[in-house]
Amino acid sequence: MVRLITHNLLACHVKRCTTNNFPLQLKDVQLALREAEFNADFLRGFMPRLEWTALVQAACQVGDDSLPLEAPEMVDDEFLKNLHHVLLEIHIEEGAMVCPNCQHVYPISNGIPNMLLAENEIG
Amino acid sequence: MSTKVTATVVDSDPSLYEENHVHQVYDQIASHFSATRYKPWPIIAAFLSSLPPGSVGLDSGTGNGKYLPLPIERPGSVWTIGLDRSRNLLRAARTAGQSTREVVWGDVLGKSWRDGAFDYAISIATIHHLATPKRRMDAVQRLFECVSPTHGRVLIYVWAIEQDAQSKRQIPTSTDQSALGQDVFVPWVLTSQTAPRKPNRQHVRDEADLAVDTQPVEPQTFNRYYHMFAEGELDELVRCAAVNLGLAVGASETDADAGIEIVQRGWERSNHYVEVRRWRRA
Ligand SMILES: [Zn+2]
Repeated sequence: MVRLITHNLLACHVKRCTTNNFPLQLKDVQLALREAEFNADFLRGFMPRLEWTALVQAACQVGDDSLPLEAPEMVDDEFLKNLHHVLLEIHIEEGAMVCPNCQHVYPISNGIPNMLLAENEIG
Repeated sequence: MSTKVTATVVDSDPSLYEENHVHQVYDQIASHFSATRYKPWPIIAAFLSSLPPGSVGLDSGTGNGKYLPLPIERPGSVWTIGLDRSRNLLRAARTAGQSTREVVWGDVLGKSWRDGAFDYAISIATIHHLATPKRRMDAVQRLFECVSPTHGRVLIYVWAIEQDAQSKRQIPTSTDQSALGQDVFVPWVLTSQTAPRKPNRQHVRDEADLAVDTQPVEPQTFNRYYHMFAEGELDELVRCAAVNLGLAVGASETDADAGIEIVQRGWERSNHYVEVRRWRRA
């Protein structure tokens, strides 16, 4: 599955594409919403490791504007619930991720992103 | 089932060789392979249980995703993303442990993550499928690169020349090159008898599975390529990968800014393993 938790970790790895290669832009996405078990400890622990701006931007691209533009210093339950939903409950089933730098297209099909490159594209 | 392991030589372009003797094989045996691989090994389970809540990691070469649901005693406190080259194995990994998992179709030599994105990475029974020393070292380097430079932890398992006494595999007597490991073929026989005995709870059966199961009884043998590691060979790979990345090897040395420390190493169930932690001087 591609949820935004994974999207926040992925970067373009085409040969010599090393700057502005993150975050990948979501394109033509088909979404599915599935409930996931809420785990506040996970969310609190993972928050500092997130690229926040990339997450907010990706959330907007899938139609969710519940997150603040800047990561809050104090987190309350409502915020954690929103973060949980954005990270773990929105599944991108079909579509693509496009590199903002070299425009390479990484397709997503049946919920699985294809990050394979052709031999001549590998760095 | 006793499996006869035979010596082999990598005689073509290594990536092509892996395509023919690893990737295609796994795609074909995926559903049967998956049904035999459901029990996590203890040291790996302990490693995953030791991670603080909020940790996010990579399972590079996740196969059917058997490590994705761990730690079993506190599910959801840690997230492991599974990467594999076999799309058919990923279908199983996607729902490992009866929950939706995060899986990515990719190559262990790829670098499709922002640098240092993960808190940990595991690579279990995967690097031994790469066909040259350089490619095996590159794979280790990728693991080091994808974890945090300040605290990232990496656990690697590879198949050993030194086999468990209980292993039914017959290993060819080694040549004088044994210190360098040995390239072998390990057969996988697909017959009606090797169909999953217990209905597999770990993966969704789909068209591809059914297609395999309904094939006639004619047994088919698929040879998978492995590089069997000699004692000390994995440590050497880890050392070289660290040096290539400009990382010192050892516990926070005084004259280095950054490095890796070998936390544990050993041999378990016919495999060599090593756990490494990255560190950086504040
Ligand atoms: Zn790019």
